[in-house]
Amino acid sequence: MRSANGSTQDGGKQPSTRASPQVLRDLRSLHVCVFHPHDRDGELLTQQLQRIGCRVHCFWPPLRAPVPGSDLVFIGLYPDTMGHDFAWCDADDAPPVVAVVNYENPTIIDAVLRVGAKAIVASPVRSFGVLSALVLARQISGDLKRMKKRVSRLEERVGAARKIAEAQEILVRQRGISKLEAYKAIRDQAMGKRVPLEDIASAIVTADEVLSSGR
Amino acid sequence: MAHTDPVKVGVLYSETGVTSSIESSQLFGTLFAIDQINEAGGINGREIVSVRYDPRSEPAIYAVLAERLITGDNVKVIFGCYMSSTRKAVIPVVERWNRLLFYSTLYEGFEFSEHLIYTGAAPNQNSVQLAEFMTSTFGPRVYLVGSNYIYPYESNRIMADLVSQHPGGEKVGERYVPLDATERDFADVLNDIRNVQPDFIFSTVVGNATQNLYRAYAKAGFDPARLPIGSLTTTEVEIAQMGAEIATGHYTSAPYFQSIDNDINRACLARFRERFGERAAPNACWEAAYFQVHLFANAMRASGSENIDVLMPHLLGASFDAPQGQVRIEPSNHHAYLYPRIGLANPHGQFTIVRETRDAVYPDPYLVTHALGDWALRMNQVEG
Repeated sequence: MRSANGSTQDGGKQPSTRASPQVLRDLRSLHVCVFHPHDRDGELLTQQLQRIGCRVHCFWPPLRAPVPGSDLVFIGLYPDTMGHDFAWCDADDAPPVVAVVNYENPTIIDAVLRVGAKAIVASPVRSFGVLSALVLARQISGDLKRMKKRVSRLEERVGAARKIAEAQEILVRQRGISKLEAYKAIRDQAMGKRVPLEDIASAIVTADEVLSSGR
Repeated sequence: MAHTDPVKVGVLYSETGVTSSIESSQLFGTLFAIDQINEAGGINGREIVSVRYDPRSEPAIYAVLAERLITGDNVKVIFGCYMSSTRKAVIPVVERWNRLLFYSTLYEGFEFSEHLIYTGAAPNQNSVQLAEFMTSTFGPRVYLVGSNYIYPYESNRIMADLVSQHPGGEKVGERYVPLDATERDFADVLNDIRNVQPDFIFSTVVGNATQNLYRAYAKAGFDPARLPIGSLTTTEVEIAQMGAEIATGHYTSAPYFQSIDNDINRACLARFRERFGERAAPNACWEAAYFQVHLFANAMRASGSENIDVLMPHLLGASFDAPQGQVRIEPSNHHAYLYPRIGLANPHGQFTIVRETRDAVYPDPYLVTHALGDWALRMNQVEG
């Protein structure tokens, strides 16, 4: 294990100055929806989640969608249950899924991928492993959400930069000014009208398209 | 414990329910091997005594009876199970109690347990060979029909994958019927088959319903010479149920058929009939059930105990001259080296072997993508 200053020690946990991760501190406030047949595995799973301190709601057959406000959903994905409709999993804001499986062949693994599971619990269910699966699924799904947000913000920025470059070129062509002067012209307009640069750039590009299509 | 005390073993094959006929054949294969071993002096002088229950083809009953065998009858070793769902039900029980299960049925792979020995074929020992033979002989467009449980789902995935590697190959239909399907259940499927005109049908229908598929097929007037059914589970038992006339012209891929022409097989069949007459039709599952008891007895002769921890080292790598050829347990995955064969059902209720391998094929239960063509060179045409 590597400590904060980069030195290594053989074995043993380094004292951490970090507080417990948020995902662990949240456990007691979690609403967990369980779609699992009411059998021994379903019972053990529900009990373990309750032991952990989550608020658990178990349903079988599965509802058309998890109870609103669910932070996490466990799905029993067995040969005789994988045919149920779990279409809600496709939604962008669907809660993270942990699949409970008793087979590990490609048919079942494909079903696991289709519900977008972020972690697995093996059947027969043991108390050990449920907490880790729950935390991992929450962490991965949170990371993914943050990543997606970041990507879309970056996409917007790249789009804006492209628009501005396009507008600059139009101004360079039409007015015979330099690229830098074109940029300044766009910026002055934006500042005067108190709107973002890319709005002005968009207006220039659109106007140019209208004018050139009329030719 | 005195060294003359009998060795109690558990036997869990269904004598009633949807897979009663094929499992009864496994039961007789097991009892036959036990008789043989006892007649030859048992295991180091100790008689093998079977404790047997009928799990009625129901996974939940398998689990309950496995538990009873272990806790009530104190057996250390269980022979049994046919459907994957029944094996899955017993695995947690033998794992919890540290006992050993011998499983003598072909299955869909993707499993390993320290507490199992698998003596039936994995998909790389039967599906690949069947796909190769059927696509090259009849064409690559396949229609999949199976019983509604995991073995057919996964087997069909493998078959669809295999035919798609062939130019023009595709899955043109996939249908599932209940485990207790009747001829009527298949009529609808056969109508669809008439419409889509595949090159061959792959059946993963199992158990007593198998005969109903083949009967419905015959009644619908299909011709096996042009659109045959290929299967991994239609054995001599199912053929006896449907009648030779109905079965003739269809194909099965398995490591064993009664018609295998060697001295060990002929002698084995003769002794079986002497003892059990026509009570069960020997087939691939029967043969695996038979030879796995011998593998157990040989290992226990060496270990002196049937406790899994001392027995297992003697099972891993062990070989036995079985009716299909010399089989061996692969230590890394507990499955068996077997001899893939393709049989054509003939008018005598038997299979004419049309392809076979010279060498035993390594069991590869975790193979995701099987390659069509790998086995073409290794399967030999058998001259009629």
